[in-house]
Amino acid sequence: MWKLILRRTLITIPQIILLSVLVFILAQAMPGDALTGLIDPNIDPATIEAMRERLGLNNPWYVQYIDWIKGVLQGDFGQSFRFKMPVSELIGERMINTLWLSLATLILTYLIAIPLGIISGRFNDTWLDRAITGYTYIGFAAPLFIFALVMLFVFGFQLGWFPTSGSVTPGTEPGTFAYFLSKLNHLLLPALSMALITTVSTVQYLRSEIIDTKQKDFIVTARAKGNSETRVYNRHILRNSLLPIAAFFGYEITGLIGGTIFIENIFGYPGMGELFLSSISLRDYSVMTALVLLFGLAAIIGALLSDIILSLVDPRIRIK
Amino acid sequence: MAKNKWSRYLALPMLSFVMVLAACSGDDTSKEEGGKKEADGGQDLKNGGMYSIEDFDNVKTNEGEAIDGGTVTFGLVSDTVFEGTLNWNFYSGAPDAEILNWFDEGLLTWDENYVYTNDGAATYEVSEDGRTFTFKIGDNVNWHDGEPVTAEDWLFAHEVIGNPDYDGPRYNTDFTNIEGMEEYNSGKADTISGIEVIDEKTLSITYIESTPSLLTGSIWTYPLAKHIFGDMAVADISSSPEVREKPIGFGPFKVDSIVPGESVTLSKNEDYWRGEPKLDGVTIKVISSSTVVQELETGGVDLVSDFPVDQFPDNAEMSNVEYLGTIDRAYTYIGFKQGTWDAENNRVAYDPESKMGDVELRQAMWHAVDNAAVGEKFYNGLRWNATTLIPPSHPEFHDENNKGREYDPEVAKQLLEEAGYVDTDDDGFREDPEGNPLEINFVSMTGGDTAEPLAQYYVQSWEAVGLNVNLEMVEFNSFYDRVGNGGEDDPSVDVYQAAWGVGIDVDPSGLYGADTLYNFGRWENEENDRLLAEGRSEKAFDLAYRQEVYNEWQQLMVDEVPVFPTLYRALLAPVNKRVMNYAIGDGTGVYLSDLAVNAESAEVAE
Repeated sequence: MWKLILRRTLITIPQIILLSVLVFILAQAMPGDALTGLIDPNIDPATIEAMRERLGLNNPWYVQYIDWIKGVLQGDFGQSFRFKMPVSELIGERMINTLWLSLATLILTYLIAIPLGIISGRFNDTWLDRAITGYTYIGFAAPLFIFALVMLFVFGFQLGWFPTSGSVTPGTEPGTFAYFLSKLNHLLLPALSMALITTVSTVQYLRSEIIDTKQKDFIVTARAKGNSETRVYNRHILRNSLLPIAAFFGYEITGLIGGTIFIENIFGYPGMGELFLSSISLRDYSVMTALVLLFGLAAIIGALLSDIILSLVDPRIRIK
Repeated sequence: MAKNKWSRYLALPMLSFVMVLAACSGDDTSKEEGGKKEADGGQDLKNGGMYSIEDFDNVKTNEGEAIDGGTVTFGLVSDTVFEGTLNWNFYSGAPDAEILNWFDEGLLTWDENYVYTNDGAATYEVSEDGRTFTFKIGDNVNWHDGEPVTAEDWLFAHEVIGNPDYDGPRYNTDFTNIEGMEEYNSGKADTISGIEVIDEKTLSITYIESTPSLLTGSIWTYPLAKHIFGDMAVADISSSPEVREKPIGFGPFKVDSIVPGESVTLSKNEDYWRGEPKLDGVTIKVISSSTVVQELETGGVDLVSDFPVDQFPDNAEMSNVEYLGTIDRAYTYIGFKQGTWDAENNRVAYDPESKMGDVELRQAMWHAVDNAAVGEKFYNGLRWNATTLIPPSHPEFHDENNKGREYDPEVAKQLLEEAGYVDTDDDGFREDPEGNPLEINFVSMTGGDTAEPLAQYYVQSWEAVGLNVNLEMVEFNSFYDRVGNGGEDDPSVDVYQAAWGVGIDVDPSGLYGADTLYNFGRWENEENDRLLAEGRSEKAFDLAYRQEVYNEWQQLMVDEVPVFPTLYRALLAPVNKRVMNYAIGDGTGVYLSDLAVNAESAEVAE
């Protein structure tokens, strides 16, 4: 077990280095840089060139890369050209928003997925199952940005149950209980909108796993031993069916910090997705590279976590 | 953004996050641009789904009685968050400027023709030779913390921007035109010789060159609080908490709290120099352009920073708002590449023999397109046929009698025939005068739903007169890279479509002079150089003379067609009916301190 973790961690290091080099080369290959948008006849092009020089944008990529990696090793991701603040601070600011939102989404996702999956798997091919499956098909088909808009119109604007933008009521004192409640209130609608859509794949997974498992021989044995139906489902079928979902959980962690541009945009909720997209289009390299590295790291750790969870819950696939 | 001569170099129809970027360069403190319009706001707007800017007023009609106090919500319409560099001397994004407008302002105000007035926080006098300006800051003008705004603060702003460590985008020709600024910037001098603090509230600035542009936006009027920033290293100011978390100004409202990237709450500045503001406070929150209509309908916001014009036709009848409108200081245009950039000599290398070098070909391409139809079909009349390169947002200088080149494909064909562009191999397309196939590459920017169909329309119009045009749609950054933003023009670009935001100063030499990088057409003409120089000469302080010069220039550009304008555009601002004393545009005499409401909460649409 420890060997597995150690081995996987060691593999991670060259993966991350390779990733950071790739990111850097790709960033270099993009047309334009942070100063491209500064199209102002009032500013002498020589001044812009001087700014480029000062920011090191004229250096070859490997020089820039070495400068950058030196900083990263000391925990300094540089300064955002656009926000004029340290990248780590900027990401920290956004990450908190995104983490809360993703956490709420994740909880809601499982709250919806597990009961629906179990019902639909246990009573497959009944009308109830068909209704749930129908919902999952709609969920697969509905684009998130349309669905989120509809949710916002209905529950935010028409019924007025939820706030319609932002992550907190303007002017609320941070640190107070009212602040926390306001944050929570602002989270619910975006999290629910996202959960209702993203949960459908988990529902489907669970459903097919349960249907699969309940025809296995050991279930027949369990029944033959005189276990009650509830016990058979809870102790034998569910535990085995949750395996792939547990494995999936590691990857969900990656999603936790990625954010979703659509949700963030529609709900005016500043998070990582918006930061990532705008830093690409505005060529804010320092932010972009830091984010890609972070996402890459999260993906690698998520995969590792998935493997560990899987090997913990399922001894069959432990690597010797 | 501050009031530089040139603002918002927009690359227009595009996603708003790109917009923010484009706007970096720009600036216009009062983002609304002006234009004189008759006050006939009550007219029936509907006209077969077609609208006209003439039908909009730029001042809100007041209804009812103002209540004491009250707060309004200002919707900052943006698909990106605001950066939070909340100081005029450092900010670069347009959303930041929208926030800055509420709590800080320039020391000078200007009238509807963008000429500095003596009604602002400071007054000015010009010396005989037009080079030395003496400013007197009002005695009651104080920072939010109670400290007076002083001449030292104004000087300090110049010193910071001129400092080599300065990391904002403001150091430009307006600054290098100050005596001693370049010496200060390069470290040869410890002080700026042209700026003198006469007493606590009096400052004089001497400029190297006297030009009428000085009176229309070329003076830096934003002081920087020296008692706060004086001890900081220049490079650290923009990221300091005094800029980002507790920003300071001397405007009608003061910042109470900021939620980074999403909202700002402000309360009134009782000590405001124009008098105590009528409102108790303002909440600014970022809203997405996809929900702006719903926010307005439900009264979630009273005012918005920007309203997507394409959403207007469907919401023209919204019952709880009044739409204000004005002409945007911008135009869309199509440019022709006629040379390259000579980086060594820092000027254009005009090549009259280039593919687009033939003036008749360019004239024909203008005649071939029906921009009036484009405005009606794509924008319901809220963008309309442009005639000259000085938009009607500058009513003093826009030549109304100049009709540009009207849509007439027959004239286009005739011009091409005369210039020798005829179809010699019967493939349906004209060959160039030497008989070689003529293939024109047209590059346009992606962004928005209409970008591509619009570009396609132009291609088809040119095809209709027998020109073989290939369209390429590219993303904003690549577009400007290829058009020559860095001086390395892509030779495969022949024709391009872009947009310019025009500053409050009318002088177009920053875009069409032979020595400017932004003359993307790389076109040069003696008469053009002469007129541009005349337009900013001392003689041009005489308004009639300046008008005459710019009328001549507009006509020259219609004759020579180095680029041709395609569309002018309207700016619309829906305002909740409870709001009183609000206006968009310049020189309206309506200030944010007058802003009031006639009810506690916003009106909701029926």
